[in-house]
Amino acid sequence: MRFSGDFEFPPDKAKANDRAIRLEWITVGYLVSAIFFIYITLGSSQAMKAAWIEDILSLVPSISFLIVARIRNRAPNEHFPFGYHRAINVGYLCASVALAVMGVYILYDSISKLAAFEHAPIGLVQPWGEPIWLGWFMLPALVYSAVPAVILGRIKIPLARELHDKVLYADAQMNKADWLTAVAAMVGVLGIGFGLWWLDSIAAILISLDITHDGIKNLRTATAGLMDARPTIVDGSAVDPLPERLRTELLAMDWVRDAVVRVREDGHVFFADIQVEPATNEGLTSKVERAARDLIHIDWRLLDVIIMPVAKIEDPRRADSDQPDVRRGSKT
Amino acid sequence: METLGSFALLTSGNHEPVKRLVILLAITLAACGVPRDPEGTLARVSGGVMRVGVTDAPPWVEVGDTAPDGIEVRLVEQFAEEIEAEIEWVEGSEQELFGALRFHELDLVLGGLTTETPWSAEASITHPYLTTATLVAVPADSEASEDISGLEVGVEANTEIAGLLRKTDARVVEVDDIEDHEGPVAIENYLTDDLDVVDTGVRLGESDHVFALPMGENDWMTTVEAFLLERPDEIKQLLDELGTP
Repeated sequence: MRFSGDFEFPPDKAKANDRAIRLEWITVGYLVSAIFFIYITLGSSQAMKAAWIEDILSLVPSISFLIVARIRNRAPNEHFPFGYHRAINVGYLCASVALAVMGVYILYDSISKLAAFEHAPIGLVQPWGEPIWLGWFMLPALVYSAVPAVILGRIKIPLARELHDKVLYADAQMNKADWLTAVAAMVGVLGIGFGLWWLDSIAAILISLDITHDGIKNLRTATAGLMDARPTIVDGSAVDPLPERLRTELLAMDWVRDAVVRVREDGHVFFADIQVEPATNEGLTSKVERAARDLIHIDWRLLDVIIMPVAKIEDPRRADSDQPDVRRGSKT
Repeated sequence: METLGSFALLTSGNHEPVKRLVILLAITLAACGVPRDPEGTLARVSGGVMRVGVTDAPPWVEVGDTAPDGIEVRLVEQFAEEIEAEIEWVEGSEQELFGALRFHELDLVLGGLTTETPWSAEASITHPYLTTATLVAVPADSEASEDISGLEVGVEANTEIAGLLRKTDARVVEVDDIEDHEGPVAIENYLTDDLDVVDTGVRLGESDHVFALPMGENDWMTTVEAFLLERPDEIKQLLDELGTP
């Protein structure tokens, strides 16, 4: 039997992971510069403030990815017998809570400013000795905050799929969607320029709705992950086929009469917990061991397979099933 | 608004592409009259009546018996001439003036305001037109040293400067009139020549002076700012002339 924590990635995935780590460092460096440029051009535009906060928040997934990358491969110990893989779920939860809370805050702030008919003031600055309206600096700063982000996001999405990394995926999605924020903020700034003061708050409201939506969506996925929900593929759009595949493999073994499979997703990796109803008890221990060894090679993400032989399977999931006997009989 | 100061950071290094882009943007869109005023203040005031709120704050604003005077008052008079506006002076407390400004019942508020003004959420604050410093100075014939610990420093009683001075290790000597005090003093930097004292290099604080305008009237605001930013020398001259104890 193998115990979890020997390694997390096979060699080819390790390479992809190194690449993801490099990309995340680039993302953090770039975001810090974008945050700085937006900060110095911030002025009093509500939309700029929303875009700025979104940029700051988009650091959270990148940074949690980098922190988690350092600790998730630590060997299991007395204190953490399952290893540190799940650190990634914790990081993911933090990132999504931050997103949701800030989204709601900006939404409230923008609506109250709109309701108070507050007109955003933007004045002159003198960076090169001659006075220039600050609004003109906001537009290039916003472009800078969007274009590289979109490119980075597009590069990271396939990596996230390859590594089955949900934090990386959420981060890539946020980067990719950043152009929307930038365009909304630019519309807000131009609105102020043309005397349409309300456009600024409207743009900020749209941005905050987007942030809140992202936050709630990710919060759900993160919570589901911590609740050991059925594994899904990285973008959450479909059920992961692995548990079903494990069951099919087991039922194909001649000593197995029936089996139920539960799979837990701990960050990148899966832990399978299986009950089998053996057809015969002869040489059971070695059969179970061999089955566990074989199954673990089905998928690189599978880190641990625990097989428990039982006289009769009791699975509450089957209680409301229409055809328990057909399932059971499928193996004869 | 304090973020504007960070622009100094931009001036170092090569920012030629950004500079070109911004200037191009500014030229193209300035042709469309951007930024505009949501409530059309500049258009109404130009060739019309400019309602200016004033509150006593010498030497910036001195509310006289007949007409106000002071550094800021003179600047606004000159500005009014430039846009051919007639000035209607309105005297009141800051509370009254900013209340009126919030509803666009005034077009400008003067009163020795700085970027630290608590009214910045109720009004647009201009780019600072002048920075002054509060400092410790010693008589011109004595030696100026940055070490003021234990030094007896005169300061006008019951003022902000007195509070700032108390935070240093100087010995605070409260006086009623700083002009009558002999020896080291804590004063605004523009008073050094009047009192015949020299700067020790010790700074107690800095003030960035601003005007206040109605929120978000950006054409009006940038016009006032441009007027002020074009005149650093005149403003210094006015400070020399009117900035007396």
